[in-house]
Amino acid sequence: MAPDTLSVRIAHRLSNAFALDAAFGAPAGFTMILGPSGGGKTTLLNCIAGFAQPDSGRIALGARVLFDSDERINMPVAGRRLGYVFQNLALFPHLTVAQNIQYGIVKLPADERRARMMAMLESFRIANLIARKPNEISGGERQRVALARSLVTNPAALMLDEPLTALDNATKSKILDDLRAWNASHEIPILYVTHSPEEAFALGERVVVLEGGHILAQGMPQHVLTTPRHETIAQVVGFENVFDATVRSIAETQGTMLCQLDGSTTQLEVPLGHAQIGARIRIAIRAGDIMVASAHPQGLSARNSFQGRVQSIRREGVRVVVMIEAGATFEVHLTPGAIGALQLEAGKEVWLVIKTYSCNLVEPSPQ
Amino acid sequence: MDWSAIFLTLRLALLVCATLLIVGTPIAYWLSFTRWRWKFFVESIVALPLVLPPTVLGFYVLVAMGSRSPLGRWYQSLTGHGLPFTFEGLAIASVIYSLPFAVQPMAAAFSQVDRNLINASSILGASRIRTFFRVLLPLSIGGVVTGFVLSFAHTLGEFGVVLMVGGNIPGVTRTVSIAIYDQTQALDYAGANRMALLLLAFSFVTLSITYSLNRRVWAVWPMQR
Amino acid sequence: MTSIVAHDKLRNPIIILAALLWLWLPAHAGTAEIKVAAASDLTFAFKNVAAQFEKQTGTSVKLTYGSSGNFFAQIQNGAPFDLFFSADVGYPQKLEAAGLIEPGTIYDYASGKLVIWVPNASKLDLSRGLAVLLDPTIQKIAIANPLHAPYGAAAVAAMRHDAIYDKVKSKLVLGENISQTAQFVQSGNADVGLLALSLAVAPAMKDSGRYVEIPSADYPPLIQAGVILKSSHNKELAAQFLKFLKEPGTVALMEQYGFSIPRDVAAAHGENEMPAPH
Repeated sequence: MAPDTLSVRIAHRLSNAFALDAAFGAPAGFTMILGPSGGGKTTLLNCIAGFAQPDSGRIALGARVLFDSDERINMPVAGRRLGYVFQNLALFPHLTVAQNIQYGIVKLPADERRARMMAMLESFRIANLIARKPNEISGGERQRVALARSLVTNPAALMLDEPLTALDNATKSKILDDLRAWNASHEIPILYVTHSPEEAFALGERVVVLEGGHILAQGMPQHVLTTPRHETIAQVVGFENVFDATVRSIAETQGTMLCQLDGSTTQLEVPLGHAQIGARIRIAIRAGDIMVASAHPQGLSARNSFQGRVQSIRREGVRVVVMIEAGATFEVHLTPGAIGALQLEAGKEVWLVIKTYSCNLVEPSPQ
Repeated sequence: MDWSAIFLTLRLALLVCATLLIVGTPIAYWLSFTRWRWKFFVESIVALPLVLPPTVLGFYVLVAMGSRSPLGRWYQSLTGHGLPFTFEGLAIASVIYSLPFAVQPMAAAFSQVDRNLINASSILGASRIRTFFRVLLPLSIGGVVTGFVLSFAHTLGEFGVVLMVGGNIPGVTRTVSIAIYDQTQALDYAGANRMALLLLAFSFVTLSITYSLNRRVWAVWPMQR
Repeated sequence: MTSIVAHDKLRNPIIILAALLWLWLPAHAGTAEIKVAAASDLTFAFKNVAAQFEKQTGTSVKLTYGSSGNFFAQIQNGAPFDLFFSADVGYPQKLEAAGLIEPGTIYDYASGKLVIWVPNASKLDLSRGLAVLLDPTIQKIAIANPLHAPYGAAAVAAMRHDAIYDKVKSKLVLGENISQTAQFVQSGNADVGLLALSLAVAPAMKDSGRYVEIPSADYPPLIQAGVILKSSHNKELAAQFLKFLKEPGTVALMEQYGFSIPRDVAAAHGENEMPAPH
């Protein structure tokens, strides 16, 4: 049986300040819904699940229509056969792990119920927790119980609302492995909501970026996340430096433009974009893409190199955050070794080196 | 010691509580889950008996079920006698009088249950009835018990409404509080004291047991979310 | 593994419904009984009378005491009494006019008297009669509510007759019925009260205070009448009770409580008819 695609087209106004307007399709496999908090991700899931009724639109899973405002179809929540793992898991605190997992399959005959439950307990490695209550097991174990509870019903689609936020990396990757393994044999659309680009890269075959109730981009993670077109995505994915600038000159044959950063004489050479001379643009640069030299560098391919002065140096775990003033303030990430080798300290004069392709043109987010 | 009054009062209180559980639970459920913008109207109506003087309530109940009212006449045609001055009439008046004591704790307890648990139950395929009995009720049982106990104790102590609607018929509508009043008027202070002490002790013990079992839900009023 | 399916069914709804039904069934009285609404001044007298009646006939008598006006209103609204013994004649007559009584059953069963009563500790000189109410040490005077208690109306009439009503009216405390009025004075919450003689001679009151009768000429006669109600389901038993009241033994009992037989009193007060209460 060919796997179904979850197709979603929703318009829903929550308040004067916020309206959700989204359309996308999620085929079998992981579709990551990425975006900052308040961007509408949970509202989206609630509409698909049926907890909220969209003002208009259509939600269908393969041939089954779950919601259609024109046809006045609104399937009740209990009939949608969807799986949902809530952000706070929503495990029934007064029931044991076994009762939680069996909750969705009580209507099955006892043997089949038990068989399915045991199979699920095995694949998530929580068989030893059967008789415990949710408050007697660890966070990672609770996570797995929540997943098992949703999956044991063989849902036609699964929704996960930031399921791994509170866990340490080791637990996270184990659970992700279990999920991937399960998905390999079941092939249903899985909507995975997260604000972490790392998770998006780890699992996602498709990414939908949602902010302010609108979809800013969708597609393969590499395309959406590494060359972001919107500032929000840029911030979500980790572009620490975002500057406003004015286009001073265009070199079409070179494929570049020269831009002057606001409030300074510093100019950057950036990839060619759709802009005229004098146009205002916004440039995003990752802190890890900026190189620092203690002397004026020679023979580099990089088109941007200019002087600056170290303002502050701050250690954050295994990396060092250096703020450098060079017309505008640049945030640069270096290794501790680099700091030592260059003998960087506050007040020191340095040279910054930035490749043209490290400069990303971003559009300001819709207001 | 007027034993017929005591048993009558206990029967009345139990009946009123049982009725309130059946009638009040759907009201509490609706108040807790609805998003209707005019729900404050219903909340006010439910809370009215809290602030209305019992004589006002008794007066309107009397008018509403008296021999000249539609309800009274219907009941008369059904049974051959009126509603006022009967045990049933008293029970109806008491249900109205104790309604907020049942509904408010229950609604507060329902509202405190994590909505995601209700949602989780639905998405796993449970009907609303099943969600109510399997998830909502077990997690809010404290409020339900409190509602039951409060309306029981409140009905035990009713006086003004009983006087207006009941008529002090021995064995039918003479509750303990009326009997105490009667004995005081008959200058039998010792007898009045005995019954009053019994009522006091009973109420105190009931409340103590309830509050000790329900350490989390011990307020009468809905708590702030 | 526990069967969780069973938990989902509502346990034994039938048992719960049955219990509910049992609670709703009205209290059943298998024995013969009559329900009597009696004016509060009969509180002690009728307890005795009823006990005698029960012994003699086996019929149980359920007594409810209160003010006559209150009973009048309740009976108009369908209160299920078999007999009504008012503290006056006016209320039974009004019920008759409204067609609510069994025709021809109005019976003047007794005539009451008004007294001034003070607790033992009081220093008031009762020999002064009603004039003692003007004593400045008095703070509260208890009377029954004249609106619906005949003894209260009589008390007001007596005070007006001696031209002291206006002087003391600010000190009046109104009892719901004549019994509550007695309780006000007996407990010391009021300094003096105008009560029914039948209450003043009762054991509970006799030992705790003293009284003096107010001359009968000062107020319209308190002729007390009883009726069988038309809505009664036990008219024969009710008639039996009325007959019992006329027996010499019962009459003597009532006289012990300070009641007089109407024919004596009525003869002495031909011209002093009490206007019918509103």
